[in-house]
Amino acid sequence: MHTVEDLIALANQHLGTALAPHDAGAELTELEDWDSVHLLRLVALLESELGRPVPVAEVLQARSLRDIWAVAVAT
Amino acid sequence: MAIFLGPATSPRTTEAFAQPVRMTGPEGPWERVREAVERHGSVVVHAQLGDWLPRDLEAPGLRGLLGRDFARFQAMTHPQIRARFVASRLLLKHVACAVIEASPESVELAYKPGGRPYLRGLDQIDISLSHTEDLLLVGLTRRGWIGVDAEAKDRPMLGLGTENQVCTPYERRTLAQIAEERRNAALVRLWTLKEAYSKAIGQGMRFRFTEFGFGPQGRDVQVLRPDGSPGTGEEWTFHTCLVDRAYTVSVALFDAGFGDTNDTAAATMLDAGLIEALVSGDGGTSPEPREPRVPDGPGATDSGPHVAGPDRPRHGPVPDGPRHGPGPEGPRHGEPEGPRHGEGEARGG
Repeated sequence: MHTVEDLIALANQHLGTALAPHDAGAELTELEDWDSVHLLRLVALLESELGRPVPVAEVLQARSLRDIWAVAVAT
Repeated sequence: MAIFLGPATSPRTTEAFAQPVRMTGPEGPWERVREAVERHGSVVVHAQLGDWLPRDLEAPGLRGLLGRDFARFQAMTHPQIRARFVASRLLLKHVACAVIEASPESVELAYKPGGRPYLRGLDQIDISLSHTEDLLLVGLTRRGWIGVDAEAKDRPMLGLGTENQVCTPYERRTLAQIAEERRNAALVRLWTLKEAYSKAIGQGMRFRFTEFGFGPQGRDVQVLRPDGSPGTGEEWTFHTCLVDRAYTVSVALFDAGFGDTNDTAAATMLDAGLIEALVSGDGGTSPEPREPRVPDGPGATDSGPHVAGPDRPRHGPVPDGPRHGPGPEGPRHGEPEGPRHGEGEARGG
């Protein structure tokens, strides 16, 4: 995974979402196919994909997929 | 060990909650809502999104109904998000106004920094909102704090890596003892209980769900430490049930000792200054509501939650002080009003 678009593709592949690249900066609360279960599942997916823990507390502060990506790659 | 979904059997829980009330539109009937609050101090109302969606989202009257939410609503672009937003706000306002005997236009919804909704100027009414798919869910109490959460009962959660993010060691051991065909539903129940509890204490998902847990259905449900030992006292009551045969709904209620506040009519609950501000259209001059003092919650110690001490508020008006002190993950500076992810009203959470 190298970009937030990769993260979006990961979500769509495993979570059944239909997110588009332009959703990267949108508020999570205003994404059609997004909720808190998705968020936790995405954390698990990211940890598996990146091979390291992702700080859940920081992810929960994220307002957008781009924010989540920033947290994930900063660890 | 079996974990069943269904009505609570504990006398204490039964006393605290009426069965959720289905509301098919603004016209009511609202008697059941008022009766539930009068008898139990709390009510949970569920509805279908379509029943609460105005035919015309451009109707002029919507501005008055949504109040300050109208600007946010206007900025939304996705039709489904807009529909859910307006329908849930209308339901929430109508439930609250049925209880306080006021018009929806006269009551202002506002949001805590974490996104949790509250009724501006009505400190002794606590509300909670959840939605998943087409289900809308509102909880209201005059006893203290309430959190509600809904999720499709058969939503796949098991085996997707979420157990480690959601469950305490005790819960994982308990889940492993449940028949496989019922295990996912049991995990959904735990999830909704944790979401409801987190909403009630105002922390959304910012507490790790692995730091507090719940036991099996069929006994008094209470918050447990990660090892399964009791974590809260009788001030907290929890309830899980099925709604529309499709959704697992959980409610967390903290009894702050306001049980003798039977008169919830707005005329006697609103302070004079707020009434003046509302009448004059200057809804922004009222001070922010005060919140109850913090109950001991998850993460209170390294070993998880513990039973609250004797300083928990039991009587009288809501005291000063934040529901939770600002932690290392406190509200971000300059955050706009509106729900944050995972808190307040996150769909399905």
